Amino acid sequence: MKAFTIPKKDMNILLERFLENYRVFGPTKPGLESTFNEITSINQLHLDYISTVLPPKKFFHPPKEQLFSFEIKNGKFIIREVKYNEKILILGIHPCDVHAILRLDKFFSDEFQDIYYQNRRKNAVLVALNCIKPSEYCFCSSMRTGPFLKDGYDLLLTDIGTEYLLEIGSEIGKNIVNGLKLKVATDSSLHEKKRRLKLTEKKFKKFIDTTWLSRIAQENLNHDVWVNLGERGGVGDSFPCLSCGSCTFVCPTCYCYDIYDTLDLSLKKGLRVRELDSCQLLEYGEVALNENFRRERKDRIRHWMLCKFAAAAGGKNSSCVGCGRCIRVCPSKIDITKVARELRGWL
Amino acid sequence: MINEYYPNFVDIKEIIKETNNTNTYILEFFEKKLHKGFSWKPGQFMMLGIPGIGESAISISNVENKNIVYSTIRNVGNVTNYISSLKKGQSISIRGPYGNGWPLEKAKSKDILIIAGGMGIAPLRGFINYIINNRKNYGNLEIIYGAKTPDDMIFKYEFNRWNKIKKSILHLTADQVLKETPFECKTGIVTSCFPIMKTHHRNAIVLLCGPEIMMRYAGKCLETIGFADEQIYLSLERRMKCGIGMCGHCQIGSKFVCKDGPVFNYADIKSFIRPL
Repeated sequence: MKAFTIPKKDMNILLERFLENYRVFGPTKPGLESTFNEITSINQLHLDYISTVLPPKKFFHPPKEQLFSFEIKNGKFIIREVKYNEKILILGIHPCDVHAILRLDKFFSDEFQDIYYQNRRKNAVLVALNCIKPSEYCFCSSMRTGPFLKDGYDLLLTDIGTEYLLEIGSEIGKNIVNGLKLKVATDSSLHEKKRRLKLTEKKFKKFIDTTWLSRIAQENLNHDVWVNLGERGGVGDSFPCLSCGSCTFVCPTCYCYDIYDTLDLSLKKGLRVRELDSCQLLEYGEVALNENFRRERKDRIRHWMLCKFAAAAGGKNSSCVGCGRCIRVCPSKIDITKVARELRGWL
Repeated sequence: MINEYYPNFVDIKEIIKETNNTNTYILEFFEKKLHKGFSWKPGQFMMLGIPGIGESAISISNVENKNIVYSTIRNVGNVTNYISSLKKGQSISIRGPYGNGWPLEKAKSKDILIIAGGMGIAPLRGFINYIINNRKNYGNLEIIYGAKTPDDMIFKYEFNRWNKIKKSILHLTADQVLKETPFECKTGIVTSCFPIMKTHHRNAIVLLCGPEIMMRYAGKCLETIGFADEQIYLSLERRMKCGIGMCGHCQIGSKFVCKDGPVFNYADIKSFIRPL
């Protein structure tokens, strides 16, 4: 499809167009870290960001959401639906996070449909932003999820100096920019994009070799690296895992959730809520009579690593996209790329 | 699109006391359109619960006329504790049935060995009843059922009927037998019945259900007496929140117990069950 260019100083025109029909969310920088927040004016937008703390998964699979409400009347239960169909637009989402959303799309529409996720997703527009400044933790180039995006977006921005290259990826995207007086991109702008891609690929500091990685992980369930991760430390310069669950909460492809009910004080009304859960927490695998199938820390961290290497039940849909968030937040300095390297046996 | 998270409601029609902490609930759909769409296979499970308390994965132990569901529940946690306080006529929320169920087709014309421990007989009862109704499709039947004490055994009223099934043997065993029992009961764990077991591995299929420690030992013993891993099927227990393969809690290896199981071939999941 067609490509246009838009000068950086004219971004407010584009933003105003988005705001006509959508609630717009984009990267902001309220403190030291960037985060996706609601954007109402161009001053709030901080497109020159590296990585947000929480992935944009929070818009589709929120940390906590209501599934339905219920009421008890004369011993019978009445269930009331909750519907989410707000139209939102996410601006400036990086390729790794777009890939993560595409994977979750597949995950939540497999054999059964997750109506809550899909309602949110269907009403959302993705305006992606190619990444030209990978952080020291990023390794998306090794996972083939970045740094530049090939498909899956509605609109795609690329920073090419004083202006953005704007590419259209879907009918929705086309309709949004329809009528804006945009300059059609010249060959030199497209060439600049290619040059920037090559430059960006050289900036990565972390790498992971994914060939046969899921098989290698599955067949080495008793490898030393799991004990080192969970109990001894020393994978790279890591300390033993603390089972804090930080990695799972910042992971853009972690989908696990808990469902529980809350009753209000009258004991007649209540909500059924789902909340993100973490496989690193002890209660995750616990069943009746205190039996726990993943009681030891090494079992839990192994499970998470297997999941990210596409060897768990989520398969490829919950595998790593190389955003590097888990490495950044881990208090024990556990590095997934080093785990993969140690499993493979090269040091 | 159907919302899989919305529960339907059933009424408790009857409660049968099995042991001091286990009851069988006979549940009846009161909405006609629900039981018309209801189809099940022995070995599947449902998400039973109470709004305000929560949901729990409970296996189906029998179904009658498509609108009466039997489920046997032991009082061990929040949800089951609340259910045990319910009386005849009260409502329970229900979702499902989910899961794959026992391999009815693969078991055809084969000898069947059923090994169950404690509550593990609940999902197998539907299968035993299925064999009784389709007796000529299956070979010899041998049931080994073990529990902590004879008092902890459930479905005691079925033992007589199971004893009378043609070409079948029923072994009952308990870890501790302290007093006289109305039925013949050996002392020992389920694997202690293996020396007197008649089933030969040649054309047999084994169905296992019970505590995981029991299944691990039984699997190991079956291996040593010549059963191939592919002949052994086991039904697993895991924490479940959704029942539809999305909440992630029930993962074992690269499988979801709720969606790909709960019945698995031993060969597929052997490496993921903790080694002895």
